[in-house]
Amino acid sequence: MTSSDDDAVELRAQIQQHLVETGNYERISNKLSQSLLDEGWIDLVKKATKEAIEDSTSINFFEILQKVEPEAVKMVSTKTKNEIMQQIKAFLCEIVDT
Amino acid sequence: MTVQHKTMPQVTILTMAEDIYYNLVTSIVQDIVSRATSQNQFLNARYPNNPTLNYDPNGKLDIYGRQKQQESSIYFRCNNCDRDISANRFAAHLERCMSRGGRRG
Ligand SMILES: [Zn+2]
Repeated sequence: MTSSDDDAVELRAQIQQHLVETGNYERISNKLSQSLLDEGWIDLVKKATKEAIEDSTSINFFEILQKVEPEAVKMVSTKTKNEIMQQIKAFLCEIVDT
Repeated sequence: MTVQHKTMPQVTILTMAEDIYYNLVTSIVQDIVSRATSQNQFLNARYPNNPTLNYDPNGKLDIYGRQKQQESSIYFRCNNCDRDISANRFAAHLERCMSRGGRRG
């Protein structure tokens, strides 16, 4: 691992910590959950999970997650994703120089 | 501010924002899946032969796959007069039966 990789990892950890400490992580996370609930995404993911459980022979968390997660991430509306990305980018721009 | 002003190219900000966004979404998915799987494991353990509820797209059959029962063919025993009364006339019966009983008692 080069020193710039180390720097990147270090910076990432710092940003995560700062995000949580300032209460921004919770704020953005709540906003995301609310948007996903409002647009019906939460119920779609619950439905997909139920179908994945019915289709598979065992109810193993990781097995079901593997089936559901990629599709669920894709199902988020562009509007919600853009809004959240905008908030995260705004936060990042505040604390780091480009 | 704990994060000192560091030089970071625009592309890294975007990647980092994507990363944070991905973490947020996947943790919500993980939460949903873990609730669903543990709930299902619990249900299967407690009710091993739990049948799935019937769904009739035509709206004729109930959750057990049965036709609607004619209410006039069901009878309730009235505790006041000890007679069998047709279910769809039970309320009307009580009005008469109870007031008659009240006058007597
Ligand atoms: Zn009666």
